[in-house]
Amino acid sequence: MELRVIFARLFSRSHRRSANDIEDELATHLDMAAADLRAQGMSEEEATREARIRFGGITQNSEAYRRQARPPFADSIASDLRYATRQLRLNPGFAIVAVLTLALGIGATTAIYSLVQAVLLRSLPYGHAERLVYLYTPNPHIPLPPEVLAPSNADFRDIRQTNHSFSDMTQFSQATFNLSTATAAARIDAAKVDGRFFPTMELLPQFGRAITADDAQPGHDHVAVISQSLWHSYFRNAGDVLTRTMQLDGNTYRIIGVMPPEVQFPTISDLPYGSGSARTDLWLPLVITAKDAADRDNPNYYAVARLKPGVSIGQAQADMALIMQRLDRLHTVDVVGNGSTHGWGALIESVRDTAVGPVRSLLWLLLGAVCCVLLIACGNTANLLLARAAARSHELSVRAALGAGRLRVIRQLLTESLLLSSIAGAAGIALAWIFLHLLLRLDPGNIPRLQQASLNGWVLLFVIGLVLVTCLLFGALPAISASRIDLTASLKSMGTRGIVAPRDRGRNLLITGEIVLVTVLLASAGLLLRSYVKVSAVHPGFSSSTITFGVTLDSRYAGRGQGRAFFQRFLERIEHIPGVRSAGAVTVLPFSNAHSMTTLWVEGYRDNSKEALIDGAGVTPHYFSTMQTPLISGRFFTSADRDGGHVVVNQSFVRKYFPDQSPLGKRLRGGADPKLPWQTIIGVVADVRNESLDQPPVPQIYTPIDNIQSASIAVRSSMPPDAIIPALRASVRSIDSSIALVDIRTMQQAIATSTARRRFQTSLLTIFAGTALLLALVGLYGLLAYSVRRRVAEIGVRIALGASRSRVIAMVVRQGLQLVLAGLIIGIAVAFAGVRFLAGMLYGVRPYDPWTFLAAPLLTILAAIVACCVPAWHAAHIEPMRALRAE
Amino acid sequence: MDEKADLLQGTLDILVLRTLVTMGPLHGYGVARRIEQVSGHTLVLNQGTIYPALLRLEQRGWIGSSWGLSENNRRARFYSITRKGRAQLARATESWQRVAATMARFLEP
Repeated sequence: MELRVIFARLFSRSHRRSANDIEDELATHLDMAAADLRAQGMSEEEATREARIRFGGITQNSEAYRRQARPPFADSIASDLRYATRQLRLNPGFAIVAVLTLALGIGATTAIYSLVQAVLLRSLPYGHAERLVYLYTPNPHIPLPPEVLAPSNADFRDIRQTNHSFSDMTQFSQATFNLSTATAAARIDAAKVDGRFFPTMELLPQFGRAITADDAQPGHDHVAVISQSLWHSYFRNAGDVLTRTMQLDGNTYRIIGVMPPEVQFPTISDLPYGSGSARTDLWLPLVITAKDAADRDNPNYYAVARLKPGVSIGQAQADMALIMQRLDRLHTVDVVGNGSTHGWGALIESVRDTAVGPVRSLLWLLLGAVCCVLLIACGNTANLLLARAAARSHELSVRAALGAGRLRVIRQLLTESLLLSSIAGAAGIALAWIFLHLLLRLDPGNIPRLQQASLNGWVLLFVIGLVLVTCLLFGALPAISASRIDLTASLKSMGTRGIVAPRDRGRNLLITGEIVLVTVLLASAGLLLRSYVKVSAVHPGFSSSTITFGVTLDSRYAGRGQGRAFFQRFLERIEHIPGVRSAGAVTVLPFSNAHSMTTLWVEGYRDNSKEALIDGAGVTPHYFSTMQTPLISGRFFTSADRDGGHVVVNQSFVRKYFPDQSPLGKRLRGGADPKLPWQTIIGVVADVRNESLDQPPVPQIYTPIDNIQSASIAVRSSMPPDAIIPALRASVRSIDSSIALVDIRTMQQAIATSTARRRFQTSLLTIFAGTALLLALVGLYGLLAYSVRRRVAEIGVRIALGASRSRVIAMVVRQGLQLVLAGLIIGIAVAFAGVRFLAGMLYGVRPYDPWTFLAAPLLTILAAIVACCVPAWHAAHIEPMRALRAE
Repeated sequence: MDEKADLLQGTLDILVLRTLVTMGPLHGYGVARRIEQVSGHTLVLNQGTIYPALLRLEQRGWIGSSWGLSENNRRARFYSITRKGRAQLARATESWQRVAATMARFLEP
């Protein structure tokens, strides 16, 4: 059919005919023809008859006329739909069960997809974000992850001058500032950026201007670009914000621009080993003096570059490697103090992968799991449809006998499926909305842009695709098998059934397939659950009720001994608060995402290496007793240990360096150089988990805290945190009102944050596995109940011939368990093949954990027996007489 | 089967368009009668088939229709050819004549 005709039939009113029009036109025709014939001398009766004969089949022709007047296919689709609606209404129980099952699957899948879309698929707010890359200069002599070694200032400048791969490059660092307000000080997460930062990221301010190279000159740098939310919260959306200033660390900064709300770079998840919070609210100029710019050896700032169009990461990597080969010769300083000055290489990593890389597998895992749930829902619906098609076989064969072709019957059945899946899709969107809100409450807080997930246009498009795919998934098999009609046999029997009902191989396969999926999901969830339990049971080495917070001093405290004096005074005041038992400070708090490494040389140790690095932290005398980290042997520091001649080590240190002897009194120093002073070990403390509960403890040394500008403070109190925190704020105010306390939380909260992602993934996967099990059991129950109903006559005969009830029960249960066992065996095989994808997410559990692989099938079998028992009991109580009479 | 239907359909289209050019606006019965008369009753037309054809031509934009009164004052739908219809007729006539001429050459003894 021509497009134009289709278009006219679909949309043009004037090219349609109403039923009355058609009737009128044809009646006129017949009248005219009859009148002509009468004029030729025929009788009234003859003329009318002859006119009808010449017109040809009136019914066919007027029907052809009507069909031409309607939109294409409209007649058959409308009648199919009408018929489908009637079928569903006739069978409300079936319709409700099918729609609810599918809506659950579609809703859950949609909700998870909206997360995937927000986190992985939606583009970042920086133009062509896939072209942004981090630059690193890894060095094999420095035992640190390459991602902490950004190019030095001099290297950065040489790379910028000589590369052929980047259209722009920028340096920036993270910073925090104390923002003074009328009432108190607040800590703001900030970034210090050079003049190329905003052009490289392709970010434009909402109003005002961005930071330029002129702003990054010494003396011109007291300007600030602020975030939308800071404009909102601090300046109350003031229109004249560009004429205002703000006090940061006691200095005055002029506001020059406000960024749009989606601009938050760099966030904690954007950076490898990033610190700070989920957003940056302030951008200040990064001033690099000529002397700093010539520094070849200290990697201080992050470096981001934008690839030129058409340049791949691999090409850029090769380009930078060549440049670094040349620059490496210019390095002359032994940075870590282990004797090596060369070895600087090149490494380029995508900004986008850095941000979403760690959560990609998690999200795909969840989407995969929820798709399994959807598949099981489709399986159940297909089973329901198959059962119904069997019941409708007589109706279908009548249709076939009246001339409906096989394709026509399939189309009719698929229309019914489409109606079902469309209703389920609509209900699924509503469910997805609810699920999404629940999911966002579970937000572990370290998945980038998770909170931006929404049911947007792309997600709705996904739902439409889902509706079509599910319709085919659950509708195609039943439609095809139902359309395979043996006309004579079916009509001859006139709908009565034989004594022995035919086997339903298709339906059995579906149930087996569902059990396969359930087994895989249960095994995965089991492994993750066991990991989670093991992680939760880890003792962190400190008391989780300790209250902690961070304090950073500004340049007013840069003088000799002033930092130490501040912290000493502050700690004394805290210890005088009623309810506080002790307080201590530490340079690197556990679970704070920070590290401090120092070089090490242990006296008398055979395998001392120039490159040995060890985790170190400075502590005040009361720190360990405040954290309740147990003393294993020796003693803690006292206030007399300030000279730096003493260290405390942890148990892992002892295990590595002094496995068979007492470490007390042994000595170590900061490197191979004999001029370095020796430090004596005076105590051993228990191992503490530093990064997360699932990272094993590493050797660590503690030294007395020195003159510092920034520290975390731990407070042990007999009162609840809420009662102590106001007093803590008051005591810092009484010393200096422009200093803010940040990240106030208990160690319990810090641990919870670090395990949040694991909890998120474990609880979701467990919910999916549970839902899948429930759905599969409903499917199994449905299959058996239906099969018993179909075999009433057969079972009646068996009972009449003397089969005992227990034998009938065993027969039905056996039928169900056969399917379950087949599914379990395949499922365990599939799970075995698949668990290696989970290996990275496990803790303390091997992928082939015997307990999990015993428990998952056992649970399935127990649940399956319950699902089998009800139909079996019904079968056993069939009255033989009534069963046979019913035929 | 499709080919045959297409051929017949195409033929009927030409006959209808040609009739409307010659006769001016005409109702369905008139079109059917005219075709029968001109063909000298060699073409046995099921008169009813004219109506779906007329509507199809209208949907293609080749003819238009409106209600009017017949010679003996009956309400009837009158069809008339459009400019696009005339162009189509010219095209179809030319191609039909070419086919006919070719066929004639082939069939010459």
